[in-house]
Amino acid sequence: MNDTLTSDVIGRRVEVNGEHATVRFSGIVPPVAGLWLGVEWDNPERGKHDGSHEGTVYFKCRHPTGGSFIRPNKVNFGVDFLTAVKNRYVLEDGPEEDGKEQIVIIGNKPVETIGFDSIIKQQSENKLRFPSGSPSRTGTFPALKVLVLNRTGITWAEVLRCASGWPVLEELYLESNDLFISERPADVLQTVKLLDLSSNQLIDENQLFLIAYLPRLEQLILSDIGISTIHFPDAGTGHKTAMFPSLQYLVVNDNQISQWSFINELDKLPSLQALSCIRNPLTEGSKEAQTTRQLIIARIGQLKTLNKCEILPEERRGAELDYRKAFGNEWKKAGGHQDPDKNRPHEQFLEAHPRYQLLCLKYGAPEDGELKLHQPFLLKNQLLTLKIKYPNQVDQKVLEKQLPDSMTIQKVKGLLARLLKVPVSELLLSYESPKMPGREIELENDQQSLQFYSVESGDCLLVRW
Amino acid sequence: MRECLSIHIGQAGIQIGDACWELYCLEHGIQPDGVVLNSDQLESANLEHMDTSFNTFFCETRAGKHVPRALFMDLEPAVIDGIRAGRHRSLFHPEQLVSGKEDAANNYARGRYSVGSEIIDLVLERIRKLAEQCSGLQGFLIFRSFGGGTGSGLTSLLMEQLSIEYSRKTKLEFSVYPAPRISTAVVEPYNSVLTTHSTLEHADCTFMVDNEAIYDICHHKLGVERPSYASINRLIGQAVSCITASLRFEGPLNVDLIEFQTNLVPYPRIHFPMTTFAPIISADNAYREELSVSDITAACFDFSNQLVKCDPRLGKYMACCLLYRGDVVPKDVNAAIAAMKSRNSVQFVDWCPTGFKVGINNQPPTVMPGGDLAKVQRAVCMLSNTTAVVEAWARLDHKFDLMYAKRAFLHWYIREGMEEGEFSEAREDLAALEKDYEEMGQSF
Repeated sequence: MNDTLTSDVIGRRVEVNGEHATVRFSGIVPPVAGLWLGVEWDNPERGKHDGSHEGTVYFKCRHPTGGSFIRPNKVNFGVDFLTAVKNRYVLEDGPEEDGKEQIVIIGNKPVETIGFDSIIKQQSENKLRFPSGSPSRTGTFPALKVLVLNRTGITWAEVLRCASGWPVLEELYLESNDLFISERPADVLQTVKLLDLSSNQLIDENQLFLIAYLPRLEQLILSDIGISTIHFPDAGTGHKTAMFPSLQYLVVNDNQISQWSFINELDKLPSLQALSCIRNPLTEGSKEAQTTRQLIIARIGQLKTLNKCEILPEERRGAELDYRKAFGNEWKKAGGHQDPDKNRPHEQFLEAHPRYQLLCLKYGAPEDGELKLHQPFLLKNQLLTLKIKYPNQVDQKVLEKQLPDSMTIQKVKGLLARLLKVPVSELLLSYESPKMPGREIELENDQQSLQFYSVESGDCLLVRW
Repeated sequence: MRECLSIHIGQAGIQIGDACWELYCLEHGIQPDGVVLNSDQLESANLEHMDTSFNTFFCETRAGKHVPRALFMDLEPAVIDGIRAGRHRSLFHPEQLVSGKEDAANNYARGRYSVGSEIIDLVLERIRKLAEQCSGLQGFLIFRSFGGGTGSGLTSLLMEQLSIEYSRKTKLEFSVYPAPRISTAVVEPYNSVLTTHSTLEHADCTFMVDNEAIYDICHHKLGVERPSYASINRLIGQAVSCITASLRFEGPLNVDLIEFQTNLVPYPRIHFPMTTFAPIISADNAYREELSVSDITAACFDFSNQLVKCDPRLGKYMACCLLYRGDVVPKDVNAAIAAMKSRNSVQFVDWCPTGFKVGINNQPPTVMPGGDLAKVQRAVCMLSNTTAVVEAWARLDHKFDLMYAKRAFLHWYIREGMEEGEFSEAREDLAALEKDYEEMGQSF
């Protein structure tokens, strides 16, 4: 297609030897004669300067080496949609073969849309240059359901401007466009069910709030955008947010998520059913994948599918019980208590573990016995520290001894006999525990061990003869 | 004309079959009860008005129902009951679902001799009925696993009988080969070697897939943390659909069942091509990559897209069959193949200069709703007969040797009526097969 360089060349997308760029300037650059095009490359390191030459600024670039001046004849403007289609299919029986055609006039360019009611326009694949800044798009695509605008350099403002021509759009793919979401989509994009914003590194959580009220948005793909935190300001701990009301499936792979607070926030989404969260610092690393999976399941109550694996009820039950047990000691230290009247864990704990109270209600508060940390199996951990008292003798001192809990009563008596110089057969043993004041338990069976009688460290042995 | 009968044997075969027929129904606009969608519904499902090419796989009854030309058989009822009670229960005629009472217990001898022999007559009769409904039966597609008792034993019995009754019909197999590091049965090597030996002269072409390769694909490419058999079978279903697309749709460059044989099998015994499928893209990454014809063709030669674990760089290609589907034009295909041939890593044997067979079908790949794969505009399935497959056989034979040296687990086979001689005979046959492959790879 022969192109004359009129002023509307500014903003056109071009290609030189495989590298893509956008035209920013066209005109004379002294002292060299002839027409030059000033282009800003997609790849910021490709160029030589930032749009200025010998002191004069001709155009602006985002990076200091993002721009170059090129002769117009070295530049490939690409072809429009129709020509690209013809080039591709002309050897085959052309599009006339297909069933239906709808010719839609946009501006003054007839564009053939091939196919049936759902049309997929693969703009990036056909090397289409998206005419940025087209002022009036008078045509509409009344049946357009799926639109792919990956890597076209489009801006959010342009998307919203054109969106009035897509009244029934359901899926919108905007990957790798360096998008910066600048405004809320007021009356447009309201039918969108799937939005793919992956690889747009400029997006942060505040921009996400601008798209949070799309009523039908069911799937949101946010892979590789560099997000690490999120916080829904309209919902307190344990409450649901009004944002993203229909969001069922969220993808946050390949991000910088490293805090559990992110996962806690996701629990606030009212309709969330499926989550994909792989290749994040939180999920990679030394901890077992299994533990991380369990923790995510426990922290997000309504999740049914995690990383494309269904969460079965048994898995959820196991994960929640483990979570409740794992943080039980922390909960107690923070003021938690089995007795509901005394149960007042402080704010910090509740923020870090918003579902904890709910899990206690569901499964009951964790018992102390569950929370006992298992000591490693060393001999010294098996020893009971016992006091030995002699109620019938007044003058004998109270001894303290460490005895293994597997020691039989017979052996204990033997030890005491040697100690007190009293024959074994005359000894009568019992014990009392500070946990049960006033009660004395007789240790009458010589063959049983201290453990059998539940003697614990800190108890007191009473010896009579 | 050109009808194909699918036979699904054993748990693996039946579950793969379930995934395949579900996919075929989606592709042809057939509802779970066998009725075709009317033209409005077809349009909303994005399907063209079908010509009758799918009669190769479906049989139309007078009531307007479309019944698959398939037979599902197993020696125990559990898995088949799953189909009888499942979503597609009204798709199949009850006579197409054959189940016994006592299973083969992972034992080739039971599947082949004792338990299998009781059911084989019934099975052959049902096959006869299905074959009578065909005006020009092309051949059989048999789905089974190597490692199970039914899949190995009953299949070898069936193949022998089919060779006798239908000697001129093609028999293509889709076999689940025992994975190198993941195994589901201790006696897999015994079953695999025995069944390969008995089926070697009866099968015309055996396409192999293995679970471990597909687990890895699901885990790394599709982001599925713990792949279930359902994910795996769906992926296999896509590959099978690609292979059979030419038989079910009209296309610019069709490939028949017999054409596979002619182009892929240089010698009768060397009939084990490897399957590769591209592109495999997660539904979360839809439309991300440029997926041109050359991209997907290059992906086929990538180790990570293979459905069998074996390194083709260690061997030479004898023949390649590239089956494209979707938005593909011959111009692009030729360019892509030329690019492949010039690559150093793709080495062909000296005695096979051209090497490529191409099939093109315009029907784009369909995905199961709620599945892991993204919908793409074009896909390719490559069947390559490469000498590197000998690595797979060598692995199997090695495991067989380790167990057989101690005669471990042998008594289970002996007590069902087998002899040790059969084992050594089978092992020798496989050793000869390995030698045949090595000879193929040698230069003049």
